[in-house]
Amino acid sequence: MKIFTITFLAILLPFHFFGQNTVSGTVKDNNGTPIFGANVYLEGTYDGSTSDDNGMFSFETSETGTQTLTISYVSFEPFKLTDDVSKMKNLKIELREDVNSLETVTISAGSFSAGDNSKISVLKPLDIVTTASALGDFVGALQTLPGTTTVAEDGRLFVRGGDAGETQIFIDGIRVFTPYSPTTNNVPTRGRYSPFLFDGITFSTGGYSAEYGQALSSVLLLNTIDEPTQEKTDIGIMSVGGALGHTEKWEKSSLSLNASYINLAPYIAILPDRNDWQKPFETASGEAVFRQKIGDGLLKIYGAFDTSDFELTQEDINQPEGTRFKLNNKNFYTNASFSETLDNDWTLFAGGSYTYGNTKVGIDEADIKDVENSAHFKMKLNKRFSNRFKLNFGAEQFVTDFNENYNEPNFAAKLGFNNNISAAFTEADIIFSRKLALKLGVRGEYSELFQEFTISPRASFAYKTGKSSQLSLAYGDFFQQPENEILKFTDKVEAQHTQHYIMNYQYSANNRIFRAEVFRKQYSNLVSYNDEFPDVNTSFSNNGNGYAQGLDLFWRDNETLKNIDYWVSYSYLDTERKYRNYPIEATPSFANTHNLSLVAKYWINDWKSQIGFSYQFASGRPYTDLNKPGFLQEKTKSYNSLSLNWAYLISQQKILYVSVNNALATKNINGYQYANTPDANGNFARRALRPAADQFFFVGFFWTISDDGKDNQLDNL
Amino acid sequence: MQNVVTYLIIFFTAIVMQAQTENTVNADAAPTKYQQGMRKAFQLWQEDKSWDAANVFERIASAEPDNWLPLYYVAQINVINSFTEKDATKLKAQLDKAQDFLNQATTLSKDNPDLLVLQAQLYTAWIVFDGQQYGMTYSAKASELYNKALALAPNNPRIILAKAEWDMGGAKYFGQSVEPYCKDIQRAIDLFATFKPAGEFYPTYGEERAKQIQAESCK
Repeated sequence: MKIFTITFLAILLPFHFFGQNTVSGTVKDNNGTPIFGANVYLEGTYDGSTSDDNGMFSFETSETGTQTLTISYVSFEPFKLTDDVSKMKNLKIELREDVNSLETVTISAGSFSAGDNSKISVLKPLDIVTTASALGDFVGALQTLPGTTTVAEDGRLFVRGGDAGETQIFIDGIRVFTPYSPTTNNVPTRGRYSPFLFDGITFSTGGYSAEYGQALSSVLLLNTIDEPTQEKTDIGIMSVGGALGHTEKWEKSSLSLNASYINLAPYIAILPDRNDWQKPFETASGEAVFRQKIGDGLLKIYGAFDTSDFELTQEDINQPEGTRFKLNNKNFYTNASFSETLDNDWTLFAGGSYTYGNTKVGIDEADIKDVENSAHFKMKLNKRFSNRFKLNFGAEQFVTDFNENYNEPNFAAKLGFNNNISAAFTEADIIFSRKLALKLGVRGEYSELFQEFTISPRASFAYKTGKSSQLSLAYGDFFQQPENEILKFTDKVEAQHTQHYIMNYQYSANNRIFRAEVFRKQYSNLVSYNDEFPDVNTSFSNNGNGYAQGLDLFWRDNETLKNIDYWVSYSYLDTERKYRNYPIEATPSFANTHNLSLVAKYWINDWKSQIGFSYQFASGRPYTDLNKPGFLQEKTKSYNSLSLNWAYLISQQKILYVSVNNALATKNINGYQYANTPDANGNFARRALRPAADQFFFVGFFWTISDDGKDNQLDNL
Repeated sequence: MQNVVTYLIIFFTAIVMQAQTENTVNADAAPTKYQQGMRKAFQLWQEDKSWDAANVFERIASAEPDNWLPLYYVAQINVINSFTEKDATKLKAQLDKAQDFLNQATTLSKDNPDLLVLQAQLYTAWIVFDGQQYGMTYSAKASELYNKALALAPNNPRIILAKAEWDMGGAKYFGQSVEPYCKDIQRAIDLFATFKPAGEFYPTYGEERAKQIQAESCK
């Protein structure tokens, strides 16, 4: 009624006097709902008004001739109309929603993000390091997310029935060729890089962008900090070593340095484990990030060097005296990238990395020396045509030169290969509305070694089903070359292949996130061979295949219980494959059916303390019982581990940190080793493969020195 | 963890809007369009119609493309209102808008201590919104901004007050004495007595807030 009356009056009343023009109309959103409080004005003048609760506006102006009317309202795209002022009457204006706003659908199938910038982050930057079981290893924190399998003795990421080599790690978009420190049987490895230098982590368990290749199952994307907040020095004194970090800032550049030294000798002297260490694990590492602003661009140079050394004798059922294992590894990684915003909404990114890995391994009498030189170069351009259409395209080159010298008293061999891969990709992001978004991409790769060209289409789609929920679908083809352990013997193979089909539902509101994802992954062209251990005489083929399918659930709640933040992950996995020397299709020993993680953090204000709790359950993994017919036919008992940590803020900049892994000392079994030959009764004896130590204790003191006296290392723990 | 940074909420209270001094420099001359507009905006703000005031400031900004003040007030209203906004979507949109206007203001007036303090307050709003996500990075950034602002304007009572209030929040949370900051508050109050804004419609708020803090925390 009111609208009618006002419109009626507007028509009747003569508003024209002394060249005064009246500008009037209504503002609505695309559902026809009136917008209240929109700012309506003639650009460059003082004349304007605010729309009322019926979306109506009307104001007088002494301006004449052609003017631009602007209407702006938070979370809508500004509307502009250029016309003669006298014609700006009874305007019916519909504002378009701003698709950059928080409410817009995001493509979430397959990926978990952590960091400040992601619209929906499942983990926050602090979580990477405050998760009880993780011990400051970001890989450890990611293992509490669904889609990963607990392979406690390994420490690497096993995603959805894939082995660890199927996950690739990228720093600032550039590949890391040797992300983990090499280790020996039954001693879990850690990621090489400290969480200290990164501010964004995206972990994709499938269906990822065409920008990333050479990964069958998963990618982990780490971004270094663009601009550190302040100058500071971090000192850490730990029961297993020490760490020192320093950040220096200048007008347009900054440098962060981080060094650490770990030596397990004192720890093992107090708490001996099941291995007989001649030289306990010792590692020294250094990392540096230099950032320089050049015009509108940012140059980042990252470098990391580490060296690890240890020697031990491990129990072995076939050798009463045990197996001697000695390792010395030196690894250098450097990465430089430059990004710049150019004119007309173009963005340029160029970068490259170089890895040098030198590993000397001694197993009993054999000495193996591996040298890997790898490089990756990438260039990409991004054009933002509008908020609703973006195009991304680029090209990259991977180069690997691998050499191995194998020496035994009576035998010596030289192995190696050169592997060059060229790739190009393009991808379009199309946002139809806040409710509907589509990403389409394609990637082509050419392998010089195999003289093989592959094409991988990728597509994902997201639809907002409600205010806080959305549905995403993703499909993709993924190719990856066989690992170094195969390529050093043969180049008569092809790239291995997977196809991912993913459906994801996500609900996110009031500090609660729920995700459910079903997936199917089809493996083909997997490398298979006929010997127990491949060597130069082995015949290889790409006859292997398999599948993985299942359901991942994730729930995080930071709201219901006061001062408690917790998340629960559950994964159901059904997978079988025939590859390597498998006689039949079977579930591999690194995959299991059920994985459950529960992580909780409780902040006790009066104690200035955060207590962390992390529980992991994994159903048994397959092994082959030589005393029964069949292959990978038995399962170990299930895995249980409860870890606790306590961070106490002594003062603003001093923290005391204590943690214990597997607090209940559950006796976990990772698998069995069988004797090569049966005993007198025709029975194969066996030995349970148990962790070197059931429990791990850690005590550390962390002190930050900065100008403001506020910062601390809680985010590094 | 989220509570490590809730201390930031404790100390941050919405800026006390003060009546802008109506003492126009040329009281006799007819007010310019700019003066009329700004007075109207402040009047609306005082009548608790802050969104209408923000709209007027936004219009003035479009007509006065070289003046940072209207941009500053648009950003400030969005920041202040975000502290009471409960709807996360709206809150984020407001903070984005505030950041946008603050960026425009900063390009017009570089190294302006009032803009630096407003940027620090904007970061504080993010921290209050989601401490766990933004706490660590933004509190360090805010600290840096307060230091920089104070270095630029060591005798500006409003900057002294803002930094002291920020530091007191941190000290209170950790059960440390706020005593060292009380002398800064006193110094701010002394300086407010003789404080002259750099020009018409420049920010003048802070004196009442300083006295309030002194009454609450420095006895």
